[in-house]
Amino acid sequence: MLFYSFFKSLVGKDVVVELKNDLSICGTLHSVDQYLNIKMTDISVTDPEKYPHMLSVKNCFIRGSVVRYVQLPADEVDTQLLQDAARKEAMQQKQ
Amino acid sequence: MFHFQSFDDDCTLEEEEGLVEEEDEIDQFNDDTFGAGAIDNDWQEEHARLAGLDERVRDEVDGAGDASSVDLSLSGSNAHSSAPPQPSSSSRLYPSIDERGGGDLAESLTHLILGSDPAIAGVGAASSDRSLRPLMLSGQTPQPSALAGQSSLLLSYQQQHQVMHRGPAPLSQDKTLMSIIKEVGLPNRPPALSREEGRDFSERVPPPRSSSPVIGSPPVRAVPIGTPPKQPMSHVHTQQNNHPSAIQHVRASMPLRYPPPFPERLSPNNLLSIASSPLSHSPFPAGVGPVLSQIQRAQLLNSQVGPFQRGPAPPLLQGGVGGFRPFFGQSGPRVGLHGPPLGHAPIRHNTTHLHPQHRRMLNQRMQNRGLGDHVGGRGVGDRKNRDPYSNLMTQREKEWVARIQMMQLQSTDPYLDDYYYQNYYEKMEKRQERDRDNRKEHTTKLITPQVAKLEHTYRPVQFAGSLGKLTVSSVNNPRKMIDAVVTTRSDDEEKREKQVWNKRRQILYTVEKMYSLLLEVQDFEKKFLQTPEHQRDALLEQHKTHMVQLYNSLREKEWDDRVSDKQCLMIMSVRKGKRLISRLLPFLPQPHAAAVVMGIARNLPALAKKDKHDQVLCWLVEPVTTVIQSMSSTSLTDLLQELQGSEGQLPLVLQNKFGVTLLYLILSEGERMQSSDPNCQLMDDNRWTELVFSVTRELLKVPSSALSSPLFTPPNLVSLFSRYVDRQRLELLQEKLQITSLTR
Repeated sequence: MLFYSFFKSLVGKDVVVELKNDLSICGTLHSVDQYLNIKMTDISVTDPEKYPHMLSVKNCFIRGSVVRYVQLPADEVDTQLLQDAARKEAMQQKQ
Repeated sequence: MFHFQSFDDDCTLEEEEGLVEEEDEIDQFNDDTFGAGAIDNDWQEEHARLAGLDERVRDEVDGAGDASSVDLSLSGSNAHSSAPPQPSSSSRLYPSIDERGGGDLAESLTHLILGSDPAIAGVGAASSDRSLRPLMLSGQTPQPSALAGQSSLLLSYQQQHQVMHRGPAPLSQDKTLMSIIKEVGLPNRPPALSREEGRDFSERVPPPRSSSPVIGSPPVRAVPIGTPPKQPMSHVHTQQNNHPSAIQHVRASMPLRYPPPFPERLSPNNLLSIASSPLSHSPFPAGVGPVLSQIQRAQLLNSQVGPFQRGPAPPLLQGGVGGFRPFFGQSGPRVGLHGPPLGHAPIRHNTTHLHPQHRRMLNQRMQNRGLGDHVGGRGVGDRKNRDPYSNLMTQREKEWVARIQMMQLQSTDPYLDDYYYQNYYEKMEKRQERDRDNRKEHTTKLITPQVAKLEHTYRPVQFAGSLGKLTVSSVNNPRKMIDAVVTTRSDDEEKREKQVWNKRRQILYTVEKMYSLLLEVQDFEKKFLQTPEHQRDALLEQHKTHMVQLYNSLREKEWDDRVSDKQCLMIMSVRKGKRLISRLLPFLPQPHAAAVVMGIARNLPALAKKDKHDQVLCWLVEPVTTVIQSMSSTSLTDLLQELQGSEGQLPLVLQNKFGVTLLYLILSEGERMQSSDPNCQLMDDNRWTELVFSVTRELLKVPSSALSSPLFTPPNLVSLFSRYVDRQRLELLQEKLQITSLTR
């Protein structure tokens, strides 16, 4: 649940999602679920409109398994807390 | 008789798959099979009747003359007007493609598809002929009329139903172009039709489950998780906390549902036909009849996706306020601060709820953007009305699916599972409170509704006297394929495995071990509040053990109370280690903490050298400050002495930012002691004075370039120096250190 928790804290922030098919989508993170499926609103394709079929799309749902990267705003992330969360998760796993 | 299901009000095939349970129970609610939809009439009879109609029409058509556009007629009538009207349409049932004589592929395809059902064929011909007549009269080209006929064909299939069930459809007799438009508006009738037939999907009840709740599907709840609360929030808030049996799922507002689109009971096919019929007049490749263009598809998709744009969607994050108590541990009775002790059932928390702080931020953000998006919203609103796929599942079915997903998000220990999120927002709140200081906003805590977990153990179905057991796999107990047994490795094995020969790795390993202890210590307070009285002692003991262990790792030998320099240095050589120490210091008891700070001061040059790359020593400033401020005068003097240490240490110290800051801190603390407490022991022996003298000497000696600026300059340094040095030197010092008598 670590990354689900992490992405939950980023809901409402602007992120760029790069998919495995090289499509990069910039938009506001609307919601996330336990599979890290992502719903985004107000999206725009970041690269020069190589993907004209996305012109009219305003919102999208992205299946978690096709995401390659998620680019986040750095000041919204607390790395120390993330480290702690990871340590706790590791401890839990061991038990 | 085989009724064409797929052209019916919706894709009944899908419907059947959804409704039929694992044991292929007969779908009692399928009207087409057993209900009003399944009228058991003899197809031959019916066909003959319709053919009779067809014949009548055909005579008129032939009379009109140009029958070429009637090639459409799916009874397979001949395109040529010269062909005599055939007595029975059965021979026209399967039009041969070569009849067209190399005609449009599209038309022949349509014939094949639609023509194979004699029922459609018959009716299609009948009304399409009627509708086609005005088209022919108005002299349109065959192609568009073909398409128009197609669309009206689909429509007329609806009419067929009406014919069957309600007598001849009251079609208006004046077949002008206007009437076609009226027909296009015809789909409004099938909804009435389906309602009559009982095919109202919004009220469709899922068939009774074949398996009992224990074995199979998610437990049937009186109040499904998705329902909004009836009472206002405040009531639920207080009642929330300790009801193990009741299912509490609370939402602050009505969840955003997809608004019912305008023709609710329309099948996708119907709408497609509507969509395509306006296009039929444009030169479109004929074979594309029921298929949407790219643009239309995009529009449809947009309208489906559109509704969730503002506000959380139900299955994913939900805004809600309920009762939450962070609980630790997997099981065992947990007691809220007020309330009776719960039973053995562990409480599950819903982690999809947003922290109130988070929700506030989101609302703010939405408000800011709301104005800008006004225009966009309207555009989508139009598209929202036409959602052809809205009623494939009933609301209950949707909720059931959402429930399954949400079940996985429930956890027995949200503090652990949802660690990052909760702590992040707590920190944010604290930060905001600090910034806003006097604002009287009380800290909002994240509260999640609690759901009592019902234990389901799977017992395979057994029939008496039979051999073996049936396995009914469902959502709650999927088929067990592997017998996975978790084996936890014992500590010895772990030690053997971690054959740490690499010193750096060893350091990191030590640091990580200390971190896990530290985290336990950090959570101690929270845990303490949660545990019941009788368990508190045990927890306290555990806490003490942790602390001892932590301190032990800093000491080299067990009996020696001093902090081991070597160990400390080792740990601090890694960035993580420095962080660790800075977080550990507040938790250590005073003597230990002082010892650690002494060790740091003693080894500052070495530390500074190692830190050249990372530059993170300054993390230590804050905790060290706290420690220094609680030190006694003797220890302070000792500390200053340590800092100066051996010859030549001080210049090195002064070169490092942290060193200078530390020095200033010590001096300022001494000054504070002197000025506040006239009886302080600082001046008892000359050590302090001497040390300060040497410091000032050094400060004056050191070239400015070798002096690094501190993180901050305490304000009382001037007064300190004024005690010990004469005016001239004081001025020099002031200039050098850039300290003024004014507070910074």
